[in-house]
Amino acid sequence: MNPKFILYFAWYYGFFVILRGPSYLVASLSLPLALLFIVTIFAHGSLVAISFAVAGGPIAIVAANSINGAADAAFFRIQIRIQDLYVATNITSQDYMFALSLSYLVFSLPGIVLYAVLGSYLKVFSVESALPIIGVLVLLTLTISNLSFIIAGLLKHIRNVWGITAILSIIMTVLPPTFYPYTDIPMNLIYVLSISPVTPAAVLVQGIVGKEPLLYSMLFILLIETVVLTLLGRKFIRWRE
Amino acid sequence: MIEIKGITKRYGKHLYALKGINASLKERVTTVIGRNGAGKTTLVRILSTQLLPTSGTATIEGYDIIKDTKKVRNLISSIPQESQLIGILSPLEQMQLYLMAKGFSAQQAKAESKEALDQLELYDFRNAPSDTLSGGMKRKVFVAMALAAKSPVIFLDEPTTGLDPLSRIEVWSAIKRLTSKIILTTHYMEEAQELSNEVVVIDQGNIMTHGTIQHLLSTFNGKMRAEKLDGEEYDIKIANVAIKYIEKDKVDEFISKGYDIKRINLDDIFLSKGVMLES
Repeated sequence: MNPKFILYFAWYYGFFVILRGPSYLVASLSLPLALLFIVTIFAHGSLVAISFAVAGGPIAIVAANSINGAADAAFFRIQIRIQDLYVATNITSQDYMFALSLSYLVFSLPGIVLYAVLGSYLKVFSVESALPIIGVLVLLTLTISNLSFIIAGLLKHIRNVWGITAILSIIMTVLPPTFYPYTDIPMNLIYVLSISPVTPAAVLVQGIVGKEPLLYSMLFILLIETVVLTLLGRKFIRWRE
Repeated sequence: MIEIKGITKRYGKHLYALKGINASLKERVTTVIGRNGAGKTTLVRILSTQLLPTSGTATIEGYDIIKDTKKVRNLISSIPQESQLIGILSPLEQMQLYLMAKGFSAQQAKAESKEALDQLELYDFRNAPSDTLSGGMKRKVFVAMALAAKSPVIFLDEPTTGLDPLSRIEVWSAIKRLTSKIILTTHYMEEAQELSNEVVVIDQGNIMTHGTIQHLLSTFNGKMRAEKLDGEEYDIKIANVAIKYIEKDKVDEFISKGYDIKRINLDDIFLSKGVMLES
């Protein structure tokens, strides 16, 4: 493990990218903010509905940025060969994957802060809920990033990645109960939707902020998905082919 | 020294990128020459621990590339073919990250990066976004990474492919500053001649010939190359160009037949060993 490399990489490729390419940041914020706007209009300003959309906002941002990481990972491996450059160094595939994952989390920070401010104003988030929510967001970053590495590893041509990430981004952020109460859909469907790690993460956050009952089984599912996807990500990233 | 022991790389059941090659690379700078798809990059990727061979192995300074991967990675720097910088980050940032991946501390990485950028006349561009640099400058940044890492063995896979002549000369001058053992791949004969002491000609996954440039040129025994479009006498014919290797005393005769006479260079080693085999 090379924590210094991971932290520096995440800082450079997460934070500096925000400063030097703010349009990417706006793009990553646009979907959750647009959905928040639609929820507000359709719910006629109902604070209950809005608070669900606000609670799901950070989840949507983290998920979208991490799934877009597939484009980065594929671009680094196939197009600009940066992955090959790092393979022949002292870092492991795990270091490289952690570094990229953490950079997506850093890149998500402005959006998370925006939602944190909004959520605090609407009394959705509290100081006590902050730590468990951060924990869920970290796990979600790891699971979705690893899913991205799997996708990137399977791709032979870079052009396919843009379409796949766009589709997955919608499927992962809009279909799961990110912006609506999970109790609005049958429990069986919740478990089916749990195939996307966004579902257990969203259900957990709704429980943590006290909007819905806390489902501990979702923590178990999220942890299992983190472990399984991390192992698969290591296999598919094609570190030493 | 690099010892290659029977390396084979097979994709699927029948596609061989390398066919059980053996070689001892002893000189400080070795160039692996071959046409596109000859197996150069596969060989370099295997030697630099990026790719596993189907069979066989190699040792670098005595360490096995498969069994002692960590030790080998401590010894080497490898600049992959067509590698590009991350456009939004600066050369200094990317060099620092690379050196930290090589085990340098943050401060040390920054200091070494600055020094190497200075040596390659890139210091003024250290903080510029990499996508604003010219093609030659970008390749020089990768050479600077290898320079700063101070690795005993450096692999450069087609470092000048796609560059204009001026940028190529710039990259050559950067490579000449490296004092480590260098394994370079190229399909430019002049590059091999300019930079290396030892040449490995590779074609269709086989080593066609291997030796010092002087030794390989000496196999032509002072002959000259005569070439003519649609010429009737030839040893090799490429497209419509007839190439004939002639003794010096036959120069006038071939000039009278309309042939152009040229001195032997590395092109001829490649032509006679590589293309001739195929034709």
